[in-house]
Amino acid sequence: MEELVQKEVQTIPKIVFENINKVFHTRKQTIVAVKDYDMQVDQGDFVSIIGPSGCGKSTLIRMLNGIIQPTSGRMLLDGIPLDTSKPYSQETLRKMGFIFQQPNMLPWYTIRQNITLPLKIFGLDTPEYQEYADELISVTGLQKFADSYPIEASGGALQRAGVVRAMVHKPEILLMDEPFGALDEMLREQLNMELLSIWKRLNITIIFITHNVEEAVLLSNSIYVMATEPGRLVEKVDIDLPRPRSLEMITQPRFVSYTQRLVDLIGSVELRQIK
Amino acid sequence: MKLSKKTITNILAPLVTFLLLFGFWEWAVSHYQLPKWLLPAPSGIIQSMVVNFNDFWPHILITFETVLIGFLIAVPVGILLATLITSNKIISAALSPFVIFLVTTPLVTLIPIMMLFMGFGQKVRIIGVVIQAFSIVNMNTVTGILNVPIIRHELMQTMGSNKFQSLRHMIYPTAIVDIFTGVRLSAIFATTACISAEYVAGNHGLGSQIIKYSQFLKTTESFACIFYVTIIGLFMYGFVAFLQKKVIYWKI
Repeated sequence: MEELVQKEVQTIPKIVFENINKVFHTRKQTIVAVKDYDMQVDQGDFVSIIGPSGCGKSTLIRMLNGIIQPTSGRMLLDGIPLDTSKPYSQETLRKMGFIFQQPNMLPWYTIRQNITLPLKIFGLDTPEYQEYADELISVTGLQKFADSYPIEASGGALQRAGVVRAMVHKPEILLMDEPFGALDEMLREQLNMELLSIWKRLNITIIFITHNVEEAVLLSNSIYVMATEPGRLVEKVDIDLPRPRSLEMITQPRFVSYTQRLVDLIGSVELRQIK
Repeated sequence: MKLSKKTITNILAPLVTFLLLFGFWEWAVSHYQLPKWLLPAPSGIIQSMVVNFNDFWPHILITFETVLIGFLIAVPVGILLATLITSNKIISAALSPFVIFLVTTPLVTLIPIMMLFMGFGQKVRIIGVVIQAFSIVNMNTVTGILNVPIIRHELMQTMGSNKFQSLRHMIYPTAIVDIFTGVRLSAIFATTACISAEYVAGNHGLGSQIIKYSQFLKTTESFACIFYVTIIGLFMYGFVAFLQKKVIYWKI
């Protein structure tokens, strides 16, 4: 019995979604964005949520980050339920870093000022954190843009800066909302590989939202497939491919079988809707 | 420094228009032999601006002071009130109609009433300028703040930023273009409001002089004062444009 309890304690999941529902009311209709969603993510895990647009995948991580509130259900962080009735404390928010679809840079600040803005807001503006910011800037190859304004930097550099900004306060969890969706294929692959190396180095937990099947398979330990109307979980697919992963794997049979299976899943979901 | 073709055009074109207009005016006055009290020639007006400068100077100073003080109070008041209005639905509902009331009510109609309890002094004129000028700053600032993209609010939210941090780092810089539109308009409104106030209140300032000279059919002097008002207005406008360039450094 005691052993069992011990085991329980050790395996407290990092993030839990319990029966989460999100309903949006517009003037004309009620939209069920997320219905009865359950998910468990362990510390250090890399999880993707995939599905057609409008399936509520972004809604999930936005709820977790407190940008919007669930209509019902519970979310747990390190085993502790999040109180969604009021804005999260900075202590809670500090555990997470959110990466938006667009770079979402503030044009009046240089790239470095944008990146270190969370330090100012979180009250972490110490030499140690500044040093860490510099380290992240150099790891991601942003040095030459650091003192430029966003208007002077390329799209890839800006999106990198968005990732770094979400990491500068040393969060334990990264929430990524289709972060590289607007970039071209080559840049996207490059950033995905950079992300994997950062993930490995920092032992950070990542929830990655995407609608790109290959990207999801390449990056994740497991993939949650969602469907629309109402937005709901259809299936969880574990990706049992060796790490470190590389772009060459994309053409290997096992990789292809995973992508095929996922495409079938998403495709069948859409077919069911047509009927 | 070599001037580009565009710069030369931008300087020359309005200058030529200006000279043509004044040339025509000058010509028309002499050709139709218009009496000075009806329409003086531009040359006469400019001559008066120089010759009677000592008479005008104290009034120029008073008018300029009233405009500037009123403007410098109006801008922060307008921005602060807009911040307050946009931060709270109840305050917004309570105050918005009155701001619109202030924008739409011609200020001159209020001055005689204000004079009843405040007298003829400069104070009543400054308050007139503030009332007229702050409302337009306020209106534009409200627009600017309400137009902040939601994604920027979300960015600040992910950091748990408080209201002051959001205002400082995100909201004001985002709204600054709209705020400056209001400030530029308010610079013009301030001048107009000041002259209107001087028309009715007291015998100081260029406005009062325009009335005085007109009553004695000294139209040349009247026009000289009007030209000085124009110069004050242009100065205010240029001052704001200069400030805008300095403040919004990130828009290349």
